[in-house]
Amino acid sequence: MVELVPNLLRQELASLAEKDQRIDGRARWESRQITLETNCLYNAEGSAKVTWGETVIYAGVKFEVRTPWPDRPTQGSLMCGAELRPVAGRKYEPGPPSPESIELGRVVDRGIRESGCIDMDSLCIIPGEKVLGIMIDIHVLSDRGNIFDACALGAIAALRTAIVPAERFDIGEDYPLSVSMTPTMCSFTRVGGRYVLDANEEEELGGDERIHITLGDEGHLHSLQKGLKGTFTPAEFDEILQVAQQRCAELAEIVNSKEE
Amino acid sequence: MGRLVGRHGDKEMSGAKEGAELRLVTPGEAIGASSGVRAGTGTLVQGENIIATKVGWVKDNNGVVSVDPIHSAYMPRSGDLVIGVVESVRNNLWFADVNGPFNGLLPMSLAPWKVEFGAARVHMDIGDIMLARVQEVDEAHNIVLTMKGVGLRKLKDGIMANISMNHISRLRGDSDSTLNKLKEVSDCRIIVAENGRVWVDGDSEGISFMRKVFELVRNDGHKAEFNASLDAMMNQRRNA
Amino acid sequence: MGGYGDVQLLRDDGLRLDGRKVDEMREVKIEAGILPAADGSAWVQHGLNVAVCAVYGPMEAHPRKIQRQDRAVIDVRYNMAPFSTSDRIRPGFNRRSREISKVTAESLESVVLVERFPRSKIRVEIEILAAEAGTRCVGITAASVALADAGIPMRDMIVGVASGKIEDTVVLDLDKAEDNYGQADLPMGILPTTGEIAFLQMDGDLSVEEYNTCVEYNMKAAKEIHELQIDALKRRYEEKNGGA
Repeated sequence: MVELVPNLLRQELASLAEKDQRIDGRARWESRQITLETNCLYNAEGSAKVTWGETVIYAGVKFEVRTPWPDRPTQGSLMCGAELRPVAGRKYEPGPPSPESIELGRVVDRGIRESGCIDMDSLCIIPGEKVLGIMIDIHVLSDRGNIFDACALGAIAALRTAIVPAERFDIGEDYPLSVSMTPTMCSFTRVGGRYVLDANEEEELGGDERIHITLGDEGHLHSLQKGLKGTFTPAEFDEILQVAQQRCAELAEIVNSKEE
Repeated sequence: MGRLVGRHGDKEMSGAKEGAELRLVTPGEAIGASSGVRAGTGTLVQGENIIATKVGWVKDNNGVVSVDPIHSAYMPRSGDLVIGVVESVRNNLWFADVNGPFNGLLPMSLAPWKVEFGAARVHMDIGDIMLARVQEVDEAHNIVLTMKGVGLRKLKDGIMANISMNHISRLRGDSDSTLNKLKEVSDCRIIVAENGRVWVDGDSEGISFMRKVFELVRNDGHKAEFNASLDAMMNQRRNA
Repeated sequence: MGGYGDVQLLRDDGLRLDGRKVDEMREVKIEAGILPAADGSAWVQHGLNVAVCAVYGPMEAHPRKIQRQDRAVIDVRYNMAPFSTSDRIRPGFNRRSREISKVTAESLESVVLVERFPRSKIRVEIEILAAEAGTRCVGITAASVALADAGIPMRDMIVGVASGKIEDTVVLDLDKAEDNYGQADLPMGILPTTGEIAFLQMDGDLSVEEYNTCVEYNMKAAKEIHELQIDALKRRYEEKNGGA
């Protein structure tokens, strides 16, 4: 989807950046307000609603019983997908899944999968015959900037509050899904020539490339992605990684506090 | 679909008594009997009643009953001053987004420059912002723009902001009184176009102040206290 | 449809499994303007159903083949989120959704003053977040509020509501068990001020008399839901009242 970028916007963002200012008055590494709700979707086994600034997303976790892959007879599966449907914004025209929505789903998926927070062997029911498959579906309802971080937060929050419907599958009593850590994502966008945290809609429109960093426990990196046209230097990356170390820990705290 | 009657000073023009609450209606709601009154914008005559077709406040101005809507799209009319963003350029014309359902078309013949064939982009390129007027609109919504006129030009500096259509008159005030005060207080050039866009140019503090004004308009533009809040904001800046 | 003899849907005391009377509706809650990116939006909870609707427009109708020279086209997408049902729905093309999108668009075209916007389209995006029977009706109710919230002119609101038959008894507003094991389902889209019907589907087995009872139940329920639509819109804007 191609958006029209007014030249005055880019000029303004550049001149604000020179004075260390942002278009909505935030500081360079300041995030918008985040509200996280869990257990909010009736038919999902785990769910979360994230309101991040004016961006709104839902994440739902569903379980199924399936046969394992032949080469991994004792392992269950985890799949994460995102839908960026026309509901989310005027710029999202109807049609088949866009590269943007596919990228969104895959980047969120990698961050969670690579952290190893789900032990695939623990999803085994009968080796070689029956395993649990976990599906996380993310639904963006309103895109006002930084849907990546909102979706990643929703996905891990839904996962951590998910209950395995063992009774429905006739394999015992319902139990909470075991998730060993809380990987979270932090995204930076180049706006007016420098990276900022949590770009809003205008900053994304007038900005350039973005970098997504997912960190787990002890600040380990679990996934990285750079999107859109542009380049960055190693020094710039070091700077945002440092910010991510702090910010991801704060985001993890938001998720973990929901389980009390 | 004529112009909204009674744009300025909501309460005075509505004919409502001092202290009376304006009535909020929803589509399909009967406003009153249709005999003896004329149906203005936002209404429809259905049998013996005038009904609302939009969510908004009922206004009665000299026998014309209308509904001042909470939200409307910009529908261009001939003569409108508009701020447009160039979306595409062809050999001898520019297509501009004018914040409405349809784009406007600026032909070379109505541009302020002498343009050589095929060299349109030299003067104004994709993403550039123009101050123009609507030359004409036909029933099929084909919109022709002109930049031949006093003050019409490419806007090279400053910022562009969007405000809701029904807040335009609030921002201007009676006979532009509010707008003039804002220009003085912010020390900026400000142009409020008819298509829900505003252009501001000045130093960064002035622009930053105007951004806060736009946020106030966005959140409180329909409240009765809006004028008081805006006055307070301007006084604060004057005294700072 | 057809019934499954083993499931008892009407209790011995004449009430339904969830305690409702035969002509009683499930609880409905409506909010307007909940999606900041949309021109107009609504959230409707009807029983355990949850629908969200965003409206964008009017805008130029693209692609050109869908454009109409004399009026606007209403472009509806009714979609069920993968996590909206007990068994996950695979995202992608779904024939049922496609049909519902079409008839919903046609019902909305019957209330929206489409002649005001030639060559334009109005996008109506209905997303079902939780489904418990009656989602197409909830979608219509939500679409109406979202269109009004977007300032799209309409000659009336429209309300979606369904009645049906279980164990030879006509009931209002089928829930999931009643829809699965009942004998008939009649969803309608009703203009609450004029009483006109803009949306109609039916499946199952109904006598003419039973059909009439369904219509009577639906009309009554439509008026109740309409009050909630009005309330949602007024609550959204009453603090923005320009009056005293």
